[in-house]
Amino acid sequence: MSYAGGNPQFPVGSPGLDPRAPVPSGDRGSKILEPLRAEGARGVAIAVVSTVVVFGLIAFAVLTSSGWPAIKEAFFDPTIFWDSLSKIMEKFSRNVFIFVVAEVFVLILALILAVMRSLRGPVFTPLRILAAAYTDLFRAVPTILVILLLGFGAPSLQLKGVPHSDVFWAIVALILVYSAYVAEVYRAGIQSVHPSQVASARALGLSRGKTMRFVVVPQAVRRVLPPLLNDFIGLQKDSALVAVLGYTEALRQAQIISAAEFDFTPYVALALVYIVITIPEARFVDWLVARDQRRRQAAGGV
Amino acid sequence: MRKVLSFLAVGSLLFAACAEDNPTIGGTGATATGGTGATAPATAADCAAANADAFLSPGTLTVGTGNPAFPPWWEGGTTDGSEFEFNDPALGEGYEGAVTAEVATRLGFSFPDQVAFVPVSFNKSFAPGDKDFDFVLQQISYKPERDDAVDFSDSYYNVNQALVSAEGTSVADATTIAELQDAKLGAPIGTTSLDVITEEIQPTQEPAVYDDLAQAVTDLQNGDIDGIVVDLPTAFFMAAVQIKKGVVVGQFGAESDEYFAMAFGTGSPLVECVNLALAEMTEDGTLDAIEQQWLADKTNAPVLS
Amino acid sequence: MTETAALAIEGLHKSFDGLEVLKGIDLEVREHEVVCVIGASGSGKSTLLRCINLLEPVNAGRVLIEGEEITARGIDVNRIRQRVGIVFQAFNLFPHMTVIRNVTLGPIEALGSSKADAEALATELLERFGLADKRDDYPDRLSGGQQQRVAIVRALAMKPDVMLLDEVTSALDPELVAEVLNVIRELAAGGMTMVIATHEMGFARDIAHRVCFLDEGVILEEGAPEQIFSSPREERTQRFLQSIIDAGRM
Repeated sequence: MSYAGGNPQFPVGSPGLDPRAPVPSGDRGSKILEPLRAEGARGVAIAVVSTVVVFGLIAFAVLTSSGWPAIKEAFFDPTIFWDSLSKIMEKFSRNVFIFVVAEVFVLILALILAVMRSLRGPVFTPLRILAAAYTDLFRAVPTILVILLLGFGAPSLQLKGVPHSDVFWAIVALILVYSAYVAEVYRAGIQSVHPSQVASARALGLSRGKTMRFVVVPQAVRRVLPPLLNDFIGLQKDSALVAVLGYTEALRQAQIISAAEFDFTPYVALALVYIVITIPEARFVDWLVARDQRRRQAAGGV
Repeated sequence: MRKVLSFLAVGSLLFAACAEDNPTIGGTGATATGGTGATAPATAADCAAANADAFLSPGTLTVGTGNPAFPPWWEGGTTDGSEFEFNDPALGEGYEGAVTAEVATRLGFSFPDQVAFVPVSFNKSFAPGDKDFDFVLQQISYKPERDDAVDFSDSYYNVNQALVSAEGTSVADATTIAELQDAKLGAPIGTTSLDVITEEIQPTQEPAVYDDLAQAVTDLQNGDIDGIVVDLPTAFFMAAVQIKKGVVVGQFGAESDEYFAMAFGTGSPLVECVNLALAEMTEDGTLDAIEQQWLADKTNAPVLS
Repeated sequence: MTETAALAIEGLHKSFDGLEVLKGIDLEVREHEVVCVIGASGSGKSTLLRCINLLEPVNAGRVLIEGEEITARGIDVNRIRQRVGIVFQAFNLFPHMTVIRNVTLGPIEALGSSKADAEALATELLERFGLADKRDDYPDRLSGGQQQRVAIVRALAMKPDVMLLDEVTSALDPELVAEVLNVIRELAAGGMTMVIATHEMGFARDIAHRVCFLDEGVILEEGAPEQIFSSPREERTQRFLQSIIDAGRM
């Protein structure tokens, strides 16, 4: 997907582009079922047969393999599944708390970092250096390491007022790390806004700050919704890292049951929980992007 | 003569008991089903010989354990070339080390030349599929729920859980379980130690569950938790070595029926061979001697009730 | 000179990466005057306009608006830009805002008008140019011509002293060009001082008080439209006009 603005099928600024013509919605490349519309009934028949054959073969290979019964018992045990599901979901509310709180701060801090990095003018050089150094540092260090260092290190200092809570430090660590990644995503978005948009805003007499605030950032954020969602999904999964500090969240809960039963089914249950929440998020962002794409066509024309 | 007879009696009784639990695998000629009264192996060595094909690597006993190999279960320090941290299992020292060496010998393998050690993570010990080991031992407790995934040997150590802490904490001087109600306790994951907290102690605060004991110790020293529940020998080791001003507060359930066992792949015919070896060791006092040597100073702690 | 020019450019030089694009421009535009700048692509028309409102920094020379030197040090750039309206060839409107918001953003945030005042003015302007029914639409629902007209309205809402139009019809479908040109005609009739860079020669001939032919960074020739189009003095001017005729655009 191109973030340079406009649909690559319709070159920017070309005469003959009439924005009143219906524009393709969404991203052409990711329409799984697109070829079917083009080919008609015959295409649909071929697609159905091919799908059934391929997935059928895979299923057959798996289900008749000699190891399947053992796998089934170890990963897909129904009793353990239902027993563990309720406990896991109960603890999952802790993950939700952690990643929702973290995400709010990440979105804010990352935007500050991205804007800092994008400021032009020599007087802003120290800010740019700071933002770049921050991003480099926290993208380099593994997240689990940051959590360990903060979660065990900070309380070790035995300073007054320093919180000891596992959840607190896990959230702080996640904010520090993910802000670095998301800042780069924002920065890509900011740079993808057409320079003429900035020119138009400055030409009206808007200051740099107001141009950022009203014209650049709103467009930049809309452009990078898919990678923002990517990072949010990563954050949702990394919320499990708080477990290394001793706090029992969903993954740790699954681990406990797994160790007690010598069975892996609880992990499968947790995976399903994650799938169930992630898919609607993805469809929602797709919808937002499609809506924004339509409006962006205008920028691609006149 | 009497010794031999009583040994045979005990051995065949034990053997009959085990044989019922272990189905035969394949047809290598090893007749392990009880009740037929046919050629039942009399000694561990016979059993091993009869099931020679069942070993992962013929002519070698492959034993899995966790890495690092912690005292007092494994001792002797590290060796160059060994991938194990803390202690090299091939030295045959420490309680589990000595038990392994003894069992191997009784199965007819010379220790350590014909014994290979492989690091096996906790999850790997019960994952389905082909195993990298003949059996694994790393302070794994027998639990009925676990019985579907692996086959367990008989006990090689009857274990009690204990509470370890540091001087000055709220639980350091506790003598009863009631005094532990308000404490924040921790336990390593995947252990029955956690069960003790949730089922016996039932404190008001949720237990902290750790990937490894080093992290639990850090939280203890920080004052974020008040005490750690682990098996009794490990508690002694931690109090003496890992925790500053460590103290073993006490042990739980003197009548506990928890025990450590080796874990095998399901249906492994080697279980009965090892059980035979363990029976021999129990009968002739070897097991007791090993316990005396490695855990003597690690069993005396007041009972918390 | 006895009266102050609305816009005066003296000895303007502009380079990009060492390549000199404007090699000394002198131009005076009186109040209410419409000056059309014609020339080949790359001759520097856009650059010239962007220098006038300081979107491009100037390498040498001066620009004065109503006698105030805007190229001097310490000048408040934003204030200057509020007095000079500019419309580009494309990418003018902010796609994430409605038409009315596009038009009122400048007055509210740069001029400090109240929302009510800004909207009143915007509504009036949109009505005057036949765009009233589009006020709550997003730019993607407008045709190219309508978008350019809104862009002009947006610039007008700032009540500028001078309007700069940079090839505003070049990216439009032919049938949409006329509606935009009519708007510009109306502005000229209303007395707006304008500098218009354009390819539309017929339009230029109609509307301009003066035409400047920009060639390789200098104003090669300038004069009344009749003179430039019918009897250009310079050979290069003739060749340029001939190429336009050959392309059927005049």
